[in-house]
Amino acid sequence: MSKNNTIIEIKGLNHWYGNFHVLKEINLETRRSSCVVICGPSGSGKSTLLRCINGLEVFKEGDVIINGKSVSQCFHNHKELYKLRSKFGMVFQHFELYPHMRVLDNITLAPRRVLCLSKNEAEKSAMALLEKVGILEQAYKYPANLSGGQQQRVAIARALAMNPDILLFDEPTSALDPEMIRDVLKVMADLAKEGMTMLVVTHEMGFANAVADEIVFMEEGNIIEHDDAVTFFKCPKSNRAVEFVDRILVHI
Amino acid sequence: MIFDVIFRNIHLLLSGLGVTFQIFILAWIGSFLLGIGLGVLRLSSRKAIYWPVTIYIQTMRSIPLILVIFGFYLLLPIITGKSMPSLVSAVISFIVFEAVYFAEIVRGGIQSVRKNLIDAGYSTGLSYFQVMTFIILPQAIKNMIPSIVTQSVVVFQDTALAYVIGVKEFLRITTLVNVREVRSIELYLFAALVYFCICSFGSLLARRMEKRYGG
Ligand SMILES: Nc1ncnc2c1ncn2[C@@H]1O[C@H](COP(=O)(O)OP(=O)(O)O)[C@@H](O)[C@H]1O
Ligand SMILES: [Mg+2]
Repeated sequence: MSKNNTIIEIKGLNHWYGNFHVLKEINLETRRSSCVVICGPSGSGKSTLLRCINGLEVFKEGDVIINGKSVSQCFHNHKELYKLRSKFGMVFQHFELYPHMRVLDNITLAPRRVLCLSKNEAEKSAMALLEKVGILEQAYKYPANLSGGQQQRVAIARALAMNPDILLFDEPTSALDPEMIRDVLKVMADLAKEGMTMLVVTHEMGFANAVADEIVFMEEGNIIEHDDAVTFFKCPKSNRAVEFVDRILVHI
Repeated sequence: MIFDVIFRNIHLLLSGLGVTFQIFILAWIGSFLLGIGLGVLRLSSRKAIYWPVTIYIQTMRSIPLILVIFGFYLLLPIITGKSMPSLVSAVISFIVFEAVYFAEIVRGGIQSVRKNLIDAGYSTGLSYFQVMTFIILPQAIKNMIPSIVTQSVVVFQDTALAYVIGVKEFLRITTLVNVREVRSIELYLFAALVYFCICSFGSLLARRMEKRYGG
């Protein structure tokens, strides 16, 4: 793994909520254009890890280096922090679309306010993104009038609108009905194929198997296992990962 | 006819009601905007901001409005060195007093906005100010509309206190008419009826909005 191919480097990351040690000495390197799936039981710190990587959470110890730039250095400078976050797109379990704005305005808000694009420019590229995620005809509706799968695709388009270097997905399909999960996973798989760097927290082992380059398994704030996808599914090293994967596969 | 006194003086009474609405609208706009500011600042994690705002809010909540009105009426000319029309003085008093109640509503409304929705804004690179303006406040205000309408009814009733510094608002005019006509029962009954109708309309509006926006 050559150094300049590394886009995310997590070094000795520790975080606490009060006395609760939520992330314990996390070390992780991610290559540009790779898709990394993070899995593990609920409460193991997966969401917190994502939030530390894009600077939503001000972590207490260690550092995250994005494209050679230190995240912890940005904590003292709001402008730098905002700029850092704008390089990421984030997709949430419950979509988190702005309910008072139409789909189009959801997508153009940040490009207009952060990148200072004109309304016209922003809307043009927003329409292109909506077409890409297959819901062009929903542009002028409010989020509440869309199905869950459509809302999540709007959320992906909103994340893409900032031209991010990295996409973070936090259980993007956990709140969706089965028939909608496929549509969203398809969009994600296409993005991975195009070479987008993606960190995906998910329990969709089918997606992990088919799309992920690497799998990270977390438990109680530790990374228990970090393998390429083939190794993880064929011969996982830790018993905990074996149990977890078994349980999830049975569940499916 | 019992209420002939009202018809005879309807012009005067309506002009008083006009002044009451004038005070109400100015006081409402001012206290609502100031309330948004105070409500936002009260959620600051910086002690240098949180404490002064909190003390201000607690102070205003512990003083009767009538004292605030007297206070500004007496102090403003001393501070500014100019005599101040009593209407202006009253409006300023209402703004600084009522704002703290709006501030508490705004604070609750902001806290009702889901954290993840806010993080969604931050994750696209928006600043604190932009997230507040474009995402949190529109959501918060929508959640707060019923409480805001209810508080606005209170502000409307409170405008009658401008009476004490001689502002010629509705209640004062009613009293002046009474001095000439000496028909206090009819006149004050009429005044009560007017306040009742306007405030009931406001309360009704609040209830309708509560239903519409799901409380
Ligand atoms: N803001 C917070 N304050 C306190 N504890 C938190 C907070 N966010 C998460 N936690 C706790 O940290 C642990 C890890 O949470 P999270 O990262 O959301 O786990 P996961 O996404 O793997 O389910 C959980 O036990 C959760 O209760
Ligand atoms: Mg989570």
